[in-house]
Amino acid sequence: MRKSLAIPLLILLAVMVAFPIATLVFRSFTFEGQLQSGLAATSLISSESRISILNSLKLGFWVVIVSTLLAYPLAHLLSKTAFARHTWLSIVFLIPFMTPPYIASMGWILFTQKRGLLSQMIPALQGVEQYFFTFGGIVLVMSLHSFPFMLNFLKNAMMNISPNLDEAGAILGASRAYRTRRLTLPLLTSGYAIGALLVFVKTLSEYGTPATLGLRIGMEFFTTQIHRKASFMPVDFGGAARLSTILVGICITFWFLQNTISNHTSYATLGQKGSRNQLSKNSLRVSISGWTYIILLLIVSIGIPYFSIIMTSLIKIRGYGLRAGNYSLQAYQKLFSIETEGLRALWNSFYLSAIAATLAAILGTSIALTTHNKKGNSYKTIQALGLLPEMLPNIVLVIGMMIFWNLISRWIPLYNTQGMLILAYLVMFLPYTIQYVGGILTQMNNHLIQAGRVFGATDFYVKRKILLPLVFRGTLAGWMMTFIICFRELVASSLVLPVGYVTVSTYILREFEQGSVSLGMSMAVICVLCTTLVLLVLNQYTKKVSL
Amino acid sequence: MNKKLIVLATLLALTCSLVFAQATTEQVPTAKANTEPTLSGKVVVYCPSPNSLANKIQAGFEAKTGVKVEMFQGTTGKINARLEAEKANPIADVVILASWSDGLKLIDQAMPYDAKGLDTMNKGWVDPQHKLYGYSASAIGVIYNTLMYPTLSADWSELGSAQYADDICMPDPLSSGSCKDFITGFINANGENGWKIIEDWKNDGLTIPGANAAALEAVMTGAKGILISGVDYNAYAKIQSGEPIGLYYPKGGTVINPRPAFILKTANNLDNAKAYMDYLLSDEVQKMIYEEYLLPGRSDIVASTRANVSDINTANYDWNWMAQNSDSIMNRFTTLMGR
Repeated sequence: MRKSLAIPLLILLAVMVAFPIATLVFRSFTFEGQLQSGLAATSLISSESRISILNSLKLGFWVVIVSTLLAYPLAHLLSKTAFARHTWLSIVFLIPFMTPPYIASMGWILFTQKRGLLSQMIPALQGVEQYFFTFGGIVLVMSLHSFPFMLNFLKNAMMNISPNLDEAGAILGASRAYRTRRLTLPLLTSGYAIGALLVFVKTLSEYGTPATLGLRIGMEFFTTQIHRKASFMPVDFGGAARLSTILVGICITFWFLQNTISNHTSYATLGQKGSRNQLSKNSLRVSISGWTYIILLLIVSIGIPYFSIIMTSLIKIRGYGLRAGNYSLQAYQKLFSIETEGLRALWNSFYLSAIAATLAAILGTSIALTTHNKKGNSYKTIQALGLLPEMLPNIVLVIGMMIFWNLISRWIPLYNTQGMLILAYLVMFLPYTIQYVGGILTQMNNHLIQAGRVFGATDFYVKRKILLPLVFRGTLAGWMMTFIICFRELVASSLVLPVGYVTVSTYILREFEQGSVSLGMSMAVICVLCTTLVLLVLNQYTKKVSL
Repeated sequence: MNKKLIVLATLLALTCSLVFAQATTEQVPTAKANTEPTLSGKVVVYCPSPNSLANKIQAGFEAKTGVKVEMFQGTTGKINARLEAEKANPIADVVILASWSDGLKLIDQAMPYDAKGLDTMNKGWVDPQHKLYGYSASAIGVIYNTLMYPTLSADWSELGSAQYADDICMPDPLSSGSCKDFITGFINANGENGWKIIEDWKNDGLTIPGANAAALEAVMTGAKGILISGVDYNAYAKIQSGEPIGLYYPKGGTVINPRPAFILKTANNLDNAKAYMDYLLSDEVQKMIYEEYLLPGRSDIVASTRANVSDINTANYDWNWMAQNSDSIMNRFTTLMGR
């Protein structure tokens, strides 16, 4: 049965992922139909590119460090102490991740800039902008965006470490420090390596923050340079493609590195007998320091940007700032009244994301199940193709898809339809489901399946009764992630949106770039409310179905 | 378990029904346009901001002709990226850009057409082959925060002096076509002296907050006091809504930037595209244009909402020179700004 699924999957992924990238790479080495390997070489060594590449690598490194520092204590609190009972915390800490980075950066800019919201409230803090509008400021904003991602990986890894192991260590006389060093950390390494790699790659391919905040301080990054070549005059797809090829190379190198680390350090910890999580009552010291940390982190990661976003959406006349009588709901009224364009944008984003997320959940789960524990080149290729989009900056994929689907539009007229946008979403975010489901499969002990077999279950029965229920959590998490990200996705939406359509992100960006910032911010508030609502509903549902 | 299967099946069914529902509503009747003046079908237009003007023109044209307007709105760069990607499969019929020099770069893709109202156009706002029509225009000015500077009339060179240090900003010429045209026009008119002035601005702490609206936002909120090279229609609209900002055109002369509209050679709906071009030059649209604080393209239309072409002192520049040299000037500019 698996064999039969492998071939259709391979073909599907080839069309979805491999062909567009191949088209792009081919395009990057040809100029007006002629092969120009020399051009690639010049782009490799141009000093401008080198600086932006170095900036991006530096940024990726620091964001991994800072987001680890932010996430580690929290992961510990939420998995090993009584704080784990406050499940709402896990949801609240998803908000920074759900906030579109370009909006969060705008919030921070409006908060800290000269005569910004902060110095209007506390005039003594004037001059703070010289500390914020620096490289450190970008690292801070991006780490505050990506630490929930890191948190998720660290927390899951910590929860899967059975307390039995720790207790065994303690009984045998190991000190707490020794247990951390020899037990917890080695067991965490595999999960952490994946998290760190993803945060690193995400930072490298992130466009929103470098474009808003980086521009202010005059720093150019990988993605801003690719974007500049791809969507500013003079348009140079070849140049964009060449830079992208370098970026792909870097990402794949790190991916191999992570793979090696994880392979050497992964242990099957799920499905052992009697694994239970006991949560001791917190001591006063843990309670106080825990709450202090959580509240501080909430203020910085959610409080400040949202204060700024909400205030901006309420201010009537921008020039007067925070001042009594200068507040109104007119931006919201406008959002829902002017030819209902705002409403249309919300509805478009809603159903496009729902369709893309559903397709991604189905396809991603099939890929993970088909390739799990399989050796052989076709399985490896399927997995690599499915995960490749995560290694690539979104703009690279989207431009490749644009060119490819235009080339074949005579036979498959998908371009300039909503199907094209759905496909772009699907390709870009397919890796989430594959990873969530794959993660569960990796940690699942084979004993469960073997037990099923021993009791005479057929292959299909084992799948239906053991495998699917176990991985369903992963499928749902994949759906949720894909939906949330698609809902506010910017790159594909602004490039392959069919003529005459508007989505949440294109609406916001247009208002930021050409219209009214207040209107854009009010849309941002509505967007986050919508995604949070979906998240809450699904979370309620997961609780019911989880084992 | 069964529950889960049901949920999955429902989601799948929902997905399919949505896809099909969309597919059926998508089908626009594409009757062939005949030689008679009655039009039908659609016209695909790629155009820049302002959004409100684009929407008004769309609604007006649909009401007048019954032709459906499918519109993509984006910056010049995004429009260009689409055109580039769609080369194998052209979709757009009419393209409108925010910068005349960008129009000149695409002139080979444009089709000549003698639109109704051709002879009423401002001098030089149609190219000699009658391909590009500057149906509207924006001018570049200096925009300042009146809470910080009650009055201001400094010339370009004076804006680089120490008294405005760290208080000046400019839109990103890479995303603002009008700002790019201003810089190339400014260099065209002033040569090396122009570069010296830009260097002074840079040494005076010139920052680039983003595209036009972002730069204007910086001045409105007071993060910066003065916006060099601001697009005037944005400022007029904000002044109208009560923002504490002012606008003037410096003595040294500025750039008026006609916004070119043209029919693509590859247009699939040619008759509709021609009717759309005629409509852009009609009294109706020309009035909409100045109601949105842009300059009308026709010389016989006087804008009551803003300064007219005759009121604005322009520098001495040549569009052909600017189109040829804009890439190298932008390179020098970005290097100068240390990006």
